[in-house]
Amino acid sequence: MDQLSLGSIQKAVWEGHLPLQFTLAPSESRTYDQTDPYLISYSRISYLPSLLPKLKAFFSSSLIDPAASAPHDGWFSFENVPLKWHYPVGLLYDLYAGAAPATKSSDADASSDDSLPWKLVVHFSDWPDEELVRLDAQGMVMNDAFINSVKEADFVRNGTAKGIMSLSKDDSSGLWKAVQDVDLPSFQRIMNILLPAPSQPFRNLPVRLFLPLPPKPDSTDSDIDPTTPSLKVVQSPIPPTMTLPLAQTTTNMTQSTLLSSSRIPSGTGSPQPQTQQQTIGSALHSLLPNLFPSKRTPVLAKPVLHGAAVPMSAPVEEVVRCSAYGDGWVYIVIRMMG
Amino acid sequence: MATSSCLPSQGTLSVFPFLAHDEFESACRAFLDRVRTARSSIVQWSSIRLQSTGPILKISQTLLSSDPSLSQDDASTVPLHSQGVYDPQLEACEEDLEALVRAADTYDNLQVDYDIILSDTYQVPVLYFVLRQADRLLGIEEVYHYLVPRQYRKNIQSVGIMGGISFGYHPVSGTPAFFVHPCNTADAMKDTATGQGIGPEGYLIVWLGLIGNCLRLQLPSELFATEGGPQLENVRY
Repeated sequence: MDQLSLGSIQKAVWEGHLPLQFTLAPSESRTYDQTDPYLISYSRISYLPSLLPKLKAFFSSSLIDPAASAPHDGWFSFENVPLKWHYPVGLLYDLYAGAAPATKSSDADASSDDSLPWKLVVHFSDWPDEELVRLDAQGMVMNDAFINSVKEADFVRNGTAKGIMSLSKDDSSGLWKAVQDVDLPSFQRIMNILLPAPSQPFRNLPVRLFLPLPPKPDSTDSDIDPTTPSLKVVQSPIPPTMTLPLAQTTTNMTQSTLLSSSRIPSGTGSPQPQTQQQTIGSALHSLLPNLFPSKRTPVLAKPVLHGAAVPMSAPVEEVVRCSAYGDGWVYIVIRMMG
Repeated sequence: MATSSCLPSQGTLSVFPFLAHDEFESACRAFLDRVRTARSSIVQWSSIRLQSTGPILKISQTLLSSDPSLSQDDASTVPLHSQGVYDPQLEACEEDLEALVRAADTYDNLQVDYDIILSDTYQVPVLYFVLRQADRLLGIEEVYHYLVPRQYRKNIQSVGIMGGISFGYHPVSGTPAFFVHPCNTADAMKDTATGQGIGPEGYLIVWLGLIGNCLRLQLPSELFATEGGPQLENVRY
């Protein structure tokens, strides 16, 4: 895919918004569950705590004890599940809201509309220490979590974290500011320093897969609601290309129509070990063979990114370049079909 | 080249200064065996075990106390290392046992749970830990106060956004935990040891000397008192 198309996909990702509806936790409200909700259209790539100053101001008059808490005491839950604030809100929605991914034909059943606006509860007391990392007044904990994630993506791409470590202090703080402000031009300028040129392949691809697991009814921990769904995060080095065994190469060359995105030149004579570009389908098939028995067609589950089903044929490196979140990672939610 | 016995396990590491997954696991097993065969009196830890999911080397330590003077500032008046220099060597351990004995009965029901996990990304061990007092999770200020010896504080606090200790999520349990950010670990290992002759357990022990010492996870020298003791010739000082 050419740079222009990649750029337009990135622009669309950065323009993605979600309608959110916040209500105050009834136990903290003077009017129990009668507090007016706060509604906002919020960037999918943004992080929930950035809304806390606005939410604290909005709900201040409703709080039983507004002086007892600061904005950074705020935390969010969805259906009683505390939300990990270090994930972008778009990922949290894809993970928890259970909505079917948008499709080109938009024939998703109407029930998916029930999930919008996404209804979240904001709390300003009783921080769940065993589940969520506490925030601080200066926003250092969030900034640190973001930069650690950027560093990790950089290490996956290059095999060292020297890129991010050698960024100037201004650029390093500018990257976090650009993501907070959803300022794509500033983000691109700094990311261009970090990302290898398109001609230079990544060492590995920063991709994490999120697998929702069914609730554990046999949980013995009384503190954990047994109906709370849990998550499994899968991360494994994904190289940008795969070397095909000779036999497979031959087979694949006779089925060249199935390899539209491969780099295998057609009509080569003697069988040489060939490399093939890693696609979303080939990566999923190798990491989760039971859920993805086919590299080309989603059979049991589909990969969801930024609220959309990712094509199985999409080269992972291109997906990383144009559709990563602000920290450089592609977070794919695996949704079971049927 | 030194031909005599160096660190406990001999062998060459395949990806030094990184550590491969199977090397990490065998390092943990060897280290666990070493601790278990040592006299129980020399190790102050309340428990050490290897959890197969991960795997995770789990070490717990209780810091007991009744001396109120040490809960003021400065916990580091406990003479962990008398020299105020960053001193990552294993030889520092011989003072540590005494220090731990003297430090006993110093803190009030403080428990530290350390989890050592190999990072998928960085391919080095990472030290995760939580500090609890009567089941309450303590924050970063208390971590620096109780766990980081004073001579390391300035160094550790001066790097990164909020210092070398980050607050994030445990990669296996998904619960909040502190950790020492691993992005400099490989370079530090390279500066301290060579990949020749140290073997997986040796790697883990050097790593514990580098990282553990900063957070009161210390190795008593008696652990290495068998077989004439380790000669750390391949560890550069």
